[in-house]
This record gives sequence, structure tokens and C-alpha cells, in this order.
Amino acid sequence: MDLLLASLVDGFLLGFIYGIAAMGLTLIWGVMNVINLSHGPIIALGMFTTYLLFMSLGIPPYIGVLLAAVIGLILGVIIYLIAVQRVIDAPHLSSLLATFAVNMIIIGIGTAIFTTSPRNVDFRLGALTLGSITLQYTRIIAALIAILVTGGLYYFLYRTRLGKYIRAVANNRSAAELVGIPSNRVVAISFGLGTMLAAIAGALIATFLPFTILAGGTYETKSFVISVLGGLGNPVGALIGGLILGLLEGIIPAFTQTTWVPVIEFVLFVIILLVRPNGLFGAKE
Amino acid sequence: MNILEIHDVSAGYGEVQILWGTSIELRDGMLTSLVGSNGAGKTTTLRTIMGLIKPWQGKITFEGNDISHLPAHEKAERGLVLVPEGRQLFTDMTVEENLEMGASPQRARVNYAKNLERVYELFPRLKERRTQKAGTMSGGEQQMLAVARGIMAEPKVLMIDELSLGLAPVLVLGLFGTLRELKKLGITILLVEQNVQMALAVSDYGYVLAEGKVALEGSSRELMKNEDVRAAYLGL
Ligand SMILES: Nc1ncnc2c1ncn2[C@@H]1O[C@H](COP(=O)(O)OP(=O)(O)OP(=O)(O)O)[C@@H](O)[C@H]1O
Ligand SMILES: [Mg+2]
Repeated sequence: MDLLLASLVDGFLLGFIYGIAAMGLTLIWGVMNVINLSHGPIIALGMFTTYLLFMSLGIPPYIGVLLAAVIGLILGVIIYLIAVQRVIDAPHLSSLLATFAVNMIIIGIGTAIFTTSPRNVDFRLGALTLGSITLQYTRIIAALIAILVTGGLYYFLYRTRLGKYIRAVANNRSAAELVGIPSNRVVAISFGLGTMLAAIAGALIATFLPFTILAGGTYETKSFVISVLGGLGNPVGALIGGLILGLLEGIIPAFTQTTWVPVIEFVLFVIILLVRPNGLFGAKE
Repeated sequence: MNILEIHDVSAGYGEVQILWGTSIELRDGMLTSLVGSNGAGKTTTLRTIMGLIKPWQGKITFEGNDISHLPAHEKAERGLVLVPEGRQLFTDMTVEENLEMGASPQRARVNYAKNLERVYELFPRLKERRTQKAGTMSGGEQQMLAVARGIMAEPKVLMIDELSLGLAPVLVLGLFGTLRELKKLGITILLVEQNVQMALAVSDYGYVLAEGKVALEGSSRELMKNEDVRAAYLGL
């Protein structure tokens, strides 16, 4: 019983981080109707940023998260300008292939440099004991940061001029042009924000779970499941979807082996696509 | 002086040519109407002026500068603003957010508070609905918001595509009244309007577009007397 409770809380905390990874994916979809298949490698780059800064320079992982965010943002804008911009109005297959190519390039270079051997950030903060359950502080702090990032994203989208520009472009791009919003620049920044969220998620996960350069793929597919669960293009849905998935991952091990987790997640994915294709909370448009 | 000139412009969609050497001039501070039957190319003309469609040929000058190939957002920044056909509001955003987005050009940002007040005076209904999502408003309210959003940009030239479409007569009268007010403020207006009679009644000058070309132009008074115009558009 206590084990289940601890595992549930662990899953719930992880859910906030899944939430921001999925928000990144869903933000990009909402603004430009592109499914970013390079989401996973960026998550992995976020992990390696924290890892390398900590292992080689001793930079604390939470500062590493900040740098991962900056790298994710810049890299995203570059990916957009080079690979996505040209195909943004083409059929979806073109942008899928373009972002998949980026995915292969990053994975290829990453594998060449880092190999696929597992890493972990050798960093401990101890645990919090509540009655009979223990929770790692690293998980708690990561979840708190994820909540902060979510709040920050909302503040940005609803209270700042650039954030409102992003919502305007997502809502009606040509109308945005007509009122004087430089929509191409805004779309590029949105892509960067989406990848920034991926990099932050990766950097946070790296503070308490082991990973490889290929690990991003798993989290990318989880982001798909969550985005569809919450409704593509709906950031609040992404957060709630993330929490649902996190809780599921907390419960499943109590009943069966963890190897069944992806199977169950994808069965859920298919069921939602069949029964509620717009997600539990409604998709954009 | 002409604030906006369109010289011999051709444009279209894909392979299909719609405009065949259209030329239009807007005198500073005047209200000009552009009329023509359905499919004549009025909307295409406005979209080409705005840069949503690239001109194939010809030249567009604004305040003496060639703006033929500027993107739409830069034209809006300079004071050339379009209230598009079909309103094109930010339907997921509130009324006030739409107005705020309308004030994106630098010039308009400085006077945001003043312009917002003016717009709410012109359309008290919008003030009542300021926190409502634009997409949930009635058609008439949405049309008011589309015009109001255009005014928020502090335009030097305001182009309006179908001011009265689908609106109750009372509202139409109100909006035409608004046009007069805007003209008094010194804004140059290009009006595309189904209701040719009303359009010519408020405007100083008019163009009749047919099959992507200017078929006729003249002062509104002359056009209203013209036999062809009377027969084709005024039902007289
Ligand atoms: N996106 C498009 N793709 C292809 N053809 C188009 C497109 N938009 C308009 N057309 C065609 O261009 C021609 C001119 O259309 P336009 O919308 O400019 O006419 P209009 O004068 O504004 O008519 P209305 O009074 O009905 O609004 C029409 O034959 C129309 O079918
Ligand atoms: Mg039209």
C-alpha cells in the first residue's frame, strides 16, 4: 500500500514534467500545424546539457536547466529557419519528413559523440520522509520547477505583448499580418519556445533518472500520447494529460511489470483516437 | 496629393489571372469607393494592395514610396490598414485583446489608451463586451469589432472590404456615420461596398471594377448620374 502510494506520488510529480514536454509539442502544433518529430532529440540534448555541465564543470544541475532552456530556444529557432519555414504551408507529410530529418541528424551526431551508453547525473539531495513514504527531493524540485515553467508560460502567453502575438498568429495568421504582426518572426519564436520546453523537460528528468542519447524518443512518444489525450493545440490539456500519464505510470507497476507501461499507454492512445479524437479537453479549432 | 497609387497592377491566384492592369489613386483625406459586381476582383485588389497576394506586375506606391513588395505587416506598420472581407477576427481572443492586437504598429501603441477610448465611444457595445471572446459575438458585433480593430491601428489609409454585408439597416447607417467621423479625423478611406447607392452617397470619388479592370471612374456625383451605373448597380 505504501509502495503504491509512493509510486503514485512519484508518477504525479513526473507528470508535471511530462506536461511541459507535451506543452512544447502542442504549442508548435497550435501555432503552425506542424508535428515536430525532432522533439525527442531536443529532450535528450536537454539531458546532456545538464549532464555535461555538471560532470565536466561542476555547474549545479538547476543552473544547467537554465542553460538547457537557452540552448533549446536558440536551437529551435535555427531548426525552424533552416528546416521548417520552407515547408510550413506544404502538406503535413513535408513538415513531418523535414523534422524527422532533423531528428536523424541530431541523433546521429549525438550517438557519434556520446555513444548510446547510459548516463546519469551523479547528484543527490536526499529524500523527504512523510510517514511511511519517501520522496526524492530531486523529483520534488523538478516538479516545482515544471509548475513554475507552466505558470511562466501562461503569464507569457496571456499577459505579454509577444505572448499575445503568438496567440494571435495561432488563431489567424493572415489577420495577424494585417494588424502589423511580423508573423514569420513570431512563428520562429514559437517553435523555439516549443523546443525550449522540450529541453527543460529533458534537463529536469536528467536530475533524477538515468538516460541515453536515444532516451528522448520515449519521452517524445509520451508527449504525443499526452497531447492527443489533452487535445492537440491545448496547453492546459497537455498539463492535465501529463498528470494523467504520470499517475498511470505510478499505478501500473503495482499490478504488472513496468515493461507493460508503453503497451498500456499506446492502447490508451488508440482508444482516445477512436473515441475522442479531439482529446478529453478539446483540440484547437 | 495622392497618398496611395496603384499603377497597372496584375495579379491572381496560382495560374489564374484576376486583375488585368488595374490602376487606382487615392487622394489624401478623401473617401473613395470601389464598386463592381460579384467576382469583379475588388477583394483581390485590396489583398494585392496589402501584400497578401504578390502583384505579378505593376507598382504600388504609398506616400511616394514603392511598397509593391513589402510584406503585409510592414504596410500596416506604415499606416496602410485593411478591414478584410469576412472580418478575420482573432476569434479565440477577447474583444479587448483584438483591439490591442489592432494597435500593433508602433505609432498606434503610443496612443493606445486614447484610441481605445475613442473606439469605445464609437461602439459602446464593444465596451460592454470587452471581456467576451470575439468568436462568440453576433455578426453585427463582430463587424463593429473588425472596423474598430482597424481604427486602433491608427491608419493613414483605411481600406474596408464589405462594410455593410449581413448587417441590419440601423447598424449600416451607424457604420456609415462612423466613416464620416473617420474622414473628419483626416483618414483616407477606400471603401468596397455592395450597397452602391450608399457608398457613392458618402464618398468623394468612385471606381467601377469589371473583370479585373477599372471600367469607369469619376466623382461620386458623376457616377450616380451615369446611365450604365444607374442601370447596373443602382437598379434605376
Ligand atoms: N483564393 C482564391 N483562389 C482562386 N480563385 C480565387 C480566390 N479568391 C478569389 N478567387 C477568384 O477571383 C475572382 C475575383 O474574386 P474577388 O473575391 O476579388 O471578387 P470580389 O469583387 O471581391 O467579389 P464579391 O463582391 O463577391 O466579394 C473570382 O472569380 C474568384 O472566384
Ligand atoms: Mg469581395
